[in-house]
Amino acid sequence: METTNTVQSSPAWGTLLGKIGFNPAGILCVFLLMALPFIPPFNQEYLLRWLIYAAFIATLSVGFDFTSGYINIVNFGYAAVAGYGGYTSALLAVNLNISPWIGIFIGGANAAVLGLIIGMISLRLRGIFAACLSWFFGLALMGLATKLVWLTRGPLGLRTPRMFETESNIPFYYLIIVLLILTYVICKMVVNSKMGLAFKAIGQNMDAARTSGINPVFYRVFNFTLSCALAGILGGFYGHYYGILTPEVMHTTKTVEVLAVAYIGGRGSLWGGAVVAFPFIFLMEIIRSTLSHLPGLNLVIYALMLILVMIYYPGGFSHFFDVHIRQSKNKILRILTGNA
Amino acid sequence: MLLEIKELDAGYGYLQILRKVSLNVDKGEYVCIVGPNGAGKSTTMKTIAGLISPMAGSITFNGEEITGLPAYQITQKGIAFVSEEMNLFVNMSVQENLLMGAYIIRDKNVQKERLEFVFDLFPRLAERKTQLAGTMSGGERKMLAIGRGMMSDPTLMLVDEPSFGLAPQLTASVFESLEVLRKTGVTIMLVEQNVTTTLSITDRGYVLENGKVGLEGKSSDLLNDAYVKKVFLGV
Amino acid sequence: MSDNLKDKIAWMKSAKGITILGSIFLALFATINSGPYVLVNTIITGGMLALVSTGLTLMLGVLNIAMFAHGEFFMIGSLSAYYVFTPISNYTAMHPDSFLVTWGPMVAIFTSMVVGAIAGIIAEFLVFRPLRKRAAENWVMNSFLLTVGLSVLLVNLHQLIFGADFKGIVRYWGGMPFSFADVFISRDRVISFCLSAFIVFLFWAFMTYTRTGRAIRAVSQDATGAQIVGINIETIVLMTISLSCALAGVAGGSLLFMYPSYPTMGLEPLYMAWFVVILSGLGNILGAVAGAFMVALLKVVTVEYVGAGWDFVVPSILIMLILIFKPSGIFGSEVRGVLDT
Repeated sequence: METTNTVQSSPAWGTLLGKIGFNPAGILCVFLLMALPFIPPFNQEYLLRWLIYAAFIATLSVGFDFTSGYINIVNFGYAAVAGYGGYTSALLAVNLNISPWIGIFIGGANAAVLGLIIGMISLRLRGIFAACLSWFFGLALMGLATKLVWLTRGPLGLRTPRMFETESNIPFYYLIIVLLILTYVICKMVVNSKMGLAFKAIGQNMDAARTSGINPVFYRVFNFTLSCALAGILGGFYGHYYGILTPEVMHTTKTVEVLAVAYIGGRGSLWGGAVVAFPFIFLMEIIRSTLSHLPGLNLVIYALMLILVMIYYPGGFSHFFDVHIRQSKNKILRILTGNA
Repeated sequence: MLLEIKELDAGYGYLQILRKVSLNVDKGEYVCIVGPNGAGKSTTMKTIAGLISPMAGSITFNGEEITGLPAYQITQKGIAFVSEEMNLFVNMSVQENLLMGAYIIRDKNVQKERLEFVFDLFPRLAERKTQLAGTMSGGERKMLAIGRGMMSDPTLMLVDEPSFGLAPQLTASVFESLEVLRKTGVTIMLVEQNVTTTLSITDRGYVLENGKVGLEGKSSDLLNDAYVKKVFLGV
Repeated sequence: MSDNLKDKIAWMKSAKGITILGSIFLALFATINSGPYVLVNTIITGGMLALVSTGLTLMLGVLNIAMFAHGEFFMIGSLSAYYVFTPISNYTAMHPDSFLVTWGPMVAIFTSMVVGAIAGIIAEFLVFRPLRKRAAENWVMNSFLLTVGLSVLLVNLHQLIFGADFKGIVRYWGGMPFSFADVFISRDRVISFCLSAFIVFLFWAFMTYTRTGRAIRAVSQDATGAQIVGINIETIVLMTISLSCALAGVAGGSLLFMYPSYPTMGLEPLYMAWFVVILSGLGNILGAVAGAFMVALLKVVTVEYVGAGWDFVVPSILIMLILIFKPSGIFGSEVRGVLDT
C-alpha cells in the first residue's frame, strides 16, 4: 500500500475539519454556496428563492438522515414536527410580539419536547411501527393545525413577521446556509463521537446492542429529540421567511420530499442529502416552470428516481462518491476528498 | 442409490461452509450425519432441501438431478425436510398444519388417508387435533413437525436435530417415533449432535468436520472408532 | 354453567371484550342520540374500509411489505370505474331500456377490480421483485420506502395523464332510496355495501377453505415452513399482491358515486386502513373486518360530536394509544413483528 504524506500541508487544520465532517471538497462546496448569489444567473431573485428552498430541504434531510440513517427508524412525521416548531415561533411572534430570532429557538425547544415524546412512546416498537406511530403523530398535528382555527387560522394561513425587514432574499439565503452548516456540523459531531457507534448498533441489531451494554432507551430518545429540535428551528425559519404558515407544511408529502432527497443522497452519510438537494430541487423547479402544461411531471421523475435508487443503488449518491471519487485513481480527486 | 451428493460446496452469501462434501443414501437406509457445532450439518440438510442453493457440486435423487431446484420442487420430488426450527404454522391447528404438509397431494381422499396414517403413528397428535400449533409443548411440536413431513408421503425424510432443546425422555420418544417411521419403509437421514444415541440407532454414519466429510462407515464401527471416541465421546 | 359465565366475564374484561362491547355501546348511544343515520354511515364506511384493510393486512402478513401505496390502488380502481362508467351512462341516457342500466355499474365495478389486480401485478414485477432479487436484508424498511416512492409516482401519473380535477359521477343506479326506520338510504349505498360485504365474505371463505387460501396463510405464518411443504412462494406472492390490490381497487370503484376520483384521494383510505391494521393486529381477516367497522364508527362519531375535519385527529390519537399500550392490536393473538424485542 502506498501511503504518501507529501500533501499534508496543515495537519492541524485537516484534523479539525475532519472532526466537524469536512474535507477539502466540502469546503469548496461551502465557498461555492457562499458565492452563488453573486454568480449569474443565480443573482436573480426567483432563482434565489429556489436556492433557499433547496437549502431548506437539504437541511431537513440532514436532520432526517440523522434518525433514519443511523437508528434506522423513519420519522414519518418529520415535516409535521418542523411545522410544529414553525407554528410555535409564529404564534409567539404574532401573539406575544417575541422576536423571530428568539422564537425559532423556542420553537426548536418545543419541537424537541415533541421529539422526546415521540421517542419515548415509540421506544418499544419495531422500526416500521415506530414509523407509523410518528406518521399518525404527524397526521394528528396537521389535523390540529387545520382545525384550531382560532389559534392558527387553519388553512387560511397564519401571517408571520419575516426575520429581515427587506424584500431581498440574500440575507435569508445566508441564514439558511449557516443553519445548514450548523445542522450538519452538530449531527456530524454527534455521530463521530461514541454515540454514533451506539446509534449504528441500535439501528442494525437491537438485541446485539442491548447485550453489549448499550442502553437503547437513552440513545433512541436522544436521537429523536435532537433531530426534532433541528426540524423545529428550520420550521421557524420557513415560517419567518415565507411570511405565512399553512397546515400544508406539515403534510406527509413534505416528509416524502425530504425522505427522497435523503435517500437519493445516501442514507447514513448526512452530507449526501444536503449535496443532492440543490441540483435536485433545481431540476424539479425547472421542470415545473418550463413544462407547466404537464403538472406532476417533476414529481413523477422524483418518484422514479427514488424507486430506482432504492432498488438498484441503495447506497445513493454518497456511496457512488465513496467508490468512484474518493477512491479514484486520480490523485487530485483523492486529495480534494481528504483521502490522500 | 436414492440420494447421491457429489463434491457439494455451499454456504450463505460469500461465506462458504461446505467444502466438497460427498455422501450417498441407499433406499431404506437410516443414515446419520454427526459432528460438532458449526461443522455444516444443518447446511447440508438445507442445501438438499433446496433452501440454500449450492455453489458447486451436484445432488441427484432417484437418478434425477435436483441441484439448485427451489425447495417446493424438491418437496414434490419426494424429499421431506423437518427443520431444526420446525417452521410450524403457529396460528393454525394441528390438523391444519398436517394438511398443509400434504399440500402437494391434490387428491382429498389420499390426504385423508395420510392424515389417518399420521394420527395412527402419533396418537398424541390426534388428541390435540384442534389445538393451535403455537400453544403446544416442545416435544409435541417436534412430533407435529415430523408428522407434517410424513404427510407428503416422502421417499426420503431429512430430520435436522430432533433432540434439540428437548428433555431426555422426550428425546427418547422422538427417536422412537423415527424408528416407527423407518419400519414403514421411509428412508431417513438424520442430523444430530447427540453422537452416542444416534450412532447406536442408525445403520450408517458420516462424520462432518469443518465442512468436510471426515469419516464414514457403519454406525457400529464408527461408535468404536478410536478417533470418534476421542473427539466426540471424550473417552 | 358458572364456568361458562366466568369465561364470559373474563372475555368482557379482556382488551378484545372491552373494545367490542364499548364499540357496540357507542354505536347504540350515537344511534339513539343522533338518529339511525350514524349507524348507516358507519356500516357503509366500514364496508369500504374492510375491503381496503384486509388487503393491507394481507400484504403485511404475507409479503412483509408495509404498504404505503395501498390508497393509490383505491384511486386506480375509482379512476378505471369512472372511465368505464361514463360512456356507459352516456349510452344509457339515450337508451333507457338497455340492459346496461342495471348491469353497467356492475361492469364498471368489476373493471375496477380487474384493473386493481393488474396494477398490483405490474407493481410486483417492476418494483417488488427486483428489490427482492437485489437484497433481502432490511427488507421491511426498504420495501416500505419503495412503496412510498410508488405512491408518489402513481399520484403524479394520475395528475399528469388525467389531470387533477375531480372525476366523479352522480349515481350508479339511482332510483328511489330505500327506507329503513325513518331513514332514507340511497340505492347506490345499499348496493355498494352489499357488494363489499359479499366480496369480503368470498375473500374470507377463500382464505379459510381453499388450498390456495391456506397456502397464503401458511406463507404469512412461516415462509420457510411453507417452502418446505412444497408451496411455491413466488406464485403465492403474486397471488397475494393481485388479490389485495384487487380488493383496494374494487373498494375505490364501488364508492365512485361517493368519492370522486382525484390524484391524492388515496391518502384517507390509506391511513384509515392502517388504523384498522394496528387496531386489529396482523394477518387476521375477521379481526380486520371488525376493526374496519370500529374505525368507521370512530370516524362517524367524531364527525357527529366533535366536528368535521376532526375525524383523523381523534382516531390518530386513539390509535397511538393502542400502539403504546397494546402494540399487538386488540385481536392480535400473537405479538410477532410489532415489538422490538
